[in-house]
Amino acid sequence: MAKQIKLISDFYNLEVNQLMDKRVWDLPLIVENEDILHVLSILGARNHIWVVKDKESKELVGVITEHDVLSILAPKHFPTYVFGMPDIRSIQHGTAKTAGDVMANKIITCNPDEKIIDALMKMVKYKLRRLPVIKDNTIVGELTLNQLIRKYYSATQYHPIIDDKEG
Amino acid sequence: MISTEELFNILLLVAIALLFTRILGFLFHKLKQPVVIGEIIAGIVLGAVSVYVFSGQKFIFFNYIVTPPNLSELFQSPEFTLFAEIGILFLLFISGLETSLSKLKKTEKASSFVAVGGVIMPLLLGFLSGIILGFSVIESVMIGLILTATSVGVTVRTLMDLHVLNTDVGATILGGAVIDDIIGIILLTFALGIGSLIDAVWIGVKIAIFFLVFLYLGLKVIDKVLFIGEKINLPKSFLSITLAILLLYSFFADEAGISGIIGAFVAGILIGQNVRSKKIIDDIKAIGYGFFIPIFFFSVGLSLWTSENVEISSFSNILIFIIIIISMSIIGKIVGCGIGAKLSGMSNLESLQVSVGMIPRMELALIIVTAAISHGILTGQVAHTVLLTTILLTIITSLITPFLIKATFKNDK
Repeated sequence: MAKQIKLISDFYNLEVNQLMDKRVWDLPLIVENEDILHVLSILGARNHIWVVKDKESKELVGVITEHDVLSILAPKHFPTYVFGMPDIRSIQHGTAKTAGDVMANKIITCNPDEKIIDALMKMVKYKLRRLPVIKDNTIVGELTLNQLIRKYYSATQYHPIIDDKEG
Repeated sequence: MISTEELFNILLLVAIALLFTRILGFLFHKLKQPVVIGEIIAGIVLGAVSVYVFSGQKFIFFNYIVTPPNLSELFQSPEFTLFAEIGILFLLFISGLETSLSKLKKTEKASSFVAVGGVIMPLLLGFLSGIILGFSVIESVMIGLILTATSVGVTVRTLMDLHVLNTDVGATILGGAVIDDIIGIILLTFALGIGSLIDAVWIGVKIAIFFLVFLYLGLKVIDKVLFIGEKINLPKSFLSITLAILLLYSFFADEAGISGIIGAFVAGILIGQNVRSKKIIDDIKAIGYGFFIPIFFFSVGLSLWTSENVEISSFSNILIFIIIIISMSIIGKIVGCGIGAKLSGMSNLESLQVSVGMIPRMELALIIVTAAISHGILTGQVAHTVLLTTILLTIITSLITPFLIKATFKNDK
């Protein structure tokens, strides 16, 4: 038990850059003005896509998850009880054309030198399963719940928490 | 202090209001009509019942004497009005939260032209009709203002049914409706100010100061404020803090002499820009849509009954007024938005389609008339007439617009 406590507190105190997936080339990235069909094709294999302004700068502007696509894929029921700007994005009505139309543009991010415990708290607070790691507005990696679960489990099995294979 | 009996009578009323608005709202939804109309009608019907049945009489069932609470008195109680007034604040706060400044900046030129044209013409026509029919200047301004703001709900649904939402026409209407709401709110602020002080320049200065301090500086510090707010780690404490900001903004806007509802709208815009709003937007909607907003619409219908008695002799005058104002609202939008669309380079047919899509009026018209009455700009008989007209305006414009839109698109094919 004491070992568990030691392990989890060590785990909490790690920095994001020690556990994050740094393989930016392998991250699901898409440029803001790319076609919605491209979004669908990537989401067939991954369950989220980071939306960037352009391929060179990799400036993060949004994220698309399966849930975002659900809301444009399902038929729109539009109650008149809506105030403010109505959300009319829909595949059926042709009002969702590009990645930028579908993405959520308010993104919760984390920094490479943030502690894991803070990243976990963000995931809890905002009900997220993945966080982009951002340095100067540019995406440098991602931290997913799935990774954290795997890393923590393997650490309980007498492996060191940080293995450099993925880093 | 409110006595326990009074308190629970008012809560009974709130319960009745919530049940009836939701039942009638759902009925209207099923009939493919705006939910809001159902909720207003719930208020009108219950108002009638309360005036004619539950106004202090005693009922005798066999040997029992039943004294139901005096509903018509309760409906006018300040406590019930408070709920409705909070409903207005929530309406504008939610509108603000969902207004994205960055999207607004990207709006096409066409939308702004349509919005401006669609504000100027109805305002002018409404104002002139008011003057000609013998209303005072400020009353006429209010009548004009009621005609300015488009409610896009009905149009969007019709365009969806026709599968033309992705056209230029659809996009222009959507953008235009958002912009003319904002123009409407700002003009309302001016108008409400002019009602109490004659000095328009001073009001302009106050509005400028309010926007500078509360919106411009607010945008700079809101992130810090919300960051600190987030640190208070208690259940839903972040929601409490946003609600406090909403109420504080309304208070300071009112203190500055520029109507609390503007404060609510500005607070909404401010918080809506921040990433952290993600966390509370559903909660705010739960409180607003689930509680306060239906009560506001209910109370709009209800307040038809709380004004002074209308003499039958003036009935024909009122009818003429209603017909004129509703015609002006339709002509104003068709001409104003049509010219705007044409100027931005759309074809004749497209301009007509856009202008017809801008006809419906709903939430903001009701808010403007309520604000004008509660600020004492519209009083007595005039208040009653204008309120009745506005309610009919919302109902009639929402009913006829789908037919008009379908007619203009039929020529297209």
